[in-house]
Amino acid sequence: MAVIEFRNTHLSFNGKSVIRNLSLNIDKGDKVVVSGKSGSGKSSLLSLVLGFIQPDSGQVLFDNIPVDERSVWDVRKRVACIDQDVSLGTGTVHGLLAFVSSLKANSHHSFVPDKLMALLELEDDLLHKDIKDLSGGERQRMAIVIAVLLGRDVFFLDEVTASLDKHLKKKVAGYFTGREDWTCVIVSHDPVWLDNSVVRVFDFEEKVWKH
Amino acid sequence: METLDIPVLSLALTLLLLIIPLFISLKYRLKLIGSLFTSTARMIVQLALIGLFLKYLFVWNDPFVNAGWLTVMIVVAVFSAVRSSSIKVSKIFLPAFASFSFATFFVVFFMNIFVIPLKNVFDARYLIVLGGMLLGNSLRGNIVGISTFYMQLRTDSNHYLYVLSLGASRQEALLPYLRDSVQLALKPTLASMATMGIVTLPGMMTGVILGGADPDVAIKYQILIMVAILVSTITSVVLTILLTMRVCIDKYGILRTDVFRNARQKQRKVS
Repeated sequence: MAVIEFRNTHLSFNGKSVIRNLSLNIDKGDKVVVSGKSGSGKSSLLSLVLGFIQPDSGQVLFDNIPVDERSVWDVRKRVACIDQDVSLGTGTVHGLLAFVSSLKANSHHSFVPDKLMALLELEDDLLHKDIKDLSGGERQRMAIVIAVLLGRDVFFLDEVTASLDKHLKKKVAGYFTGREDWTCVIVSHDPVWLDNSVVRVFDFEEKVWKH
Repeated sequence: METLDIPVLSLALTLLLLIIPLFISLKYRLKLIGSLFTSTARMIVQLALIGLFLKYLFVWNDPFVNAGWLTVMIVVAVFSAVRSSSIKVSKIFLPAFASFSFATFFVVFFMNIFVIPLKNVFDARYLIVLGGMLLGNSLRGNIVGISTFYMQLRTDSNHYLYVLSLGASRQEALLPYLRDSVQLALKPTLASMATMGIVTLPGMMTGVILGGADPDVAIKYQILIMVAILVSTITSVVLTILLTMRVCIDKYGILRTDVFRNARQKQRKVS
């Protein structure tokens, strides 16, 4: 069953079309890498599903329900999203975790980051650090920790491995592709994702599946 | 105790004092001379006109004219508050007007009905003078409040979208920005309240004392006016933000770019 579906979707910015007649199904448990030149509009796929932008024509569906101004609020509770230039805001990491867990949508989860932080090789004292003092890699990994703690099973990973070293890249890619029930849409240039046999690659420019 | 009137010729002597800023401006090349003259001229002309106008208003003292004049004052205040933000005036004038009107009329009528023993709650002396005082302060608060709210939301859009993607409701995602802007907008009012009497002997009090009233009465009025200012400022700032949000943020929870004066086209991340 398709979790995410694009039906003849068309999107343009400033009169320039970014997505032309896209039809694409992403099923439950799929691990899809969207490949294509940077600047080709791959990330806008994720923005469309999250309702940050609307298509000029065609439809975007989540769980067979069209994403519209009402359903989008539920979609945002079902998806965990990690962006390459995620902005975690200001204050301490601990404060951020408290804020995330205070949101109504997440109140039924317990937010204990210890294990995940250890897995991603983040020190405990990071929690008391100021977000602006974290390195790019630390920020990225913290965003991953938060996304996983949300307890959701659809992941949008936009260049999440960009600022990690080789060994961590592998760990992160393995972590997400290793969970059968997770649906992952991965926007990345990184070959680390392609090593894996469960991953399907969608060529964004040609609009075809590569393998 | 009668207030001493100042002969017009003597008042002109006050203007002689302007030689000092003139001299400073020349010496340090502050380039303030132009605005020094235009501002002084504008002040004199505007006050002369309003003085004449108020004279008739007080004599006439018609409830409809008084309420009408206060409405005109609100329109001007709203216009200048909105114009100083980066949002198009046409988009948010009405919601801002509604919130200013509510905050001003509500507080003024509360004072005129329950606090000051007035026979006519539309009395020009109270309605217009109190209303003007409240509006001036609401205006200052709103200039900070609206600008901060929308500017932060715009520059912080990456973080805002991140919070939405975490599953936040509209209210949850916008609350931090509302909180910041209201706090910032109220800071000057709260600070001046806290130093009142020690640092500031405010205009209202000076006016009432010069006008011949007992300092006791002046202080009572000052307390009344400060509370009124605080209440009307916070009410109008919060209401303006809440009401303009309906226009400026779409049903997806996204800040509309076409409400900004320098509207950039649909410009979101394309990578």
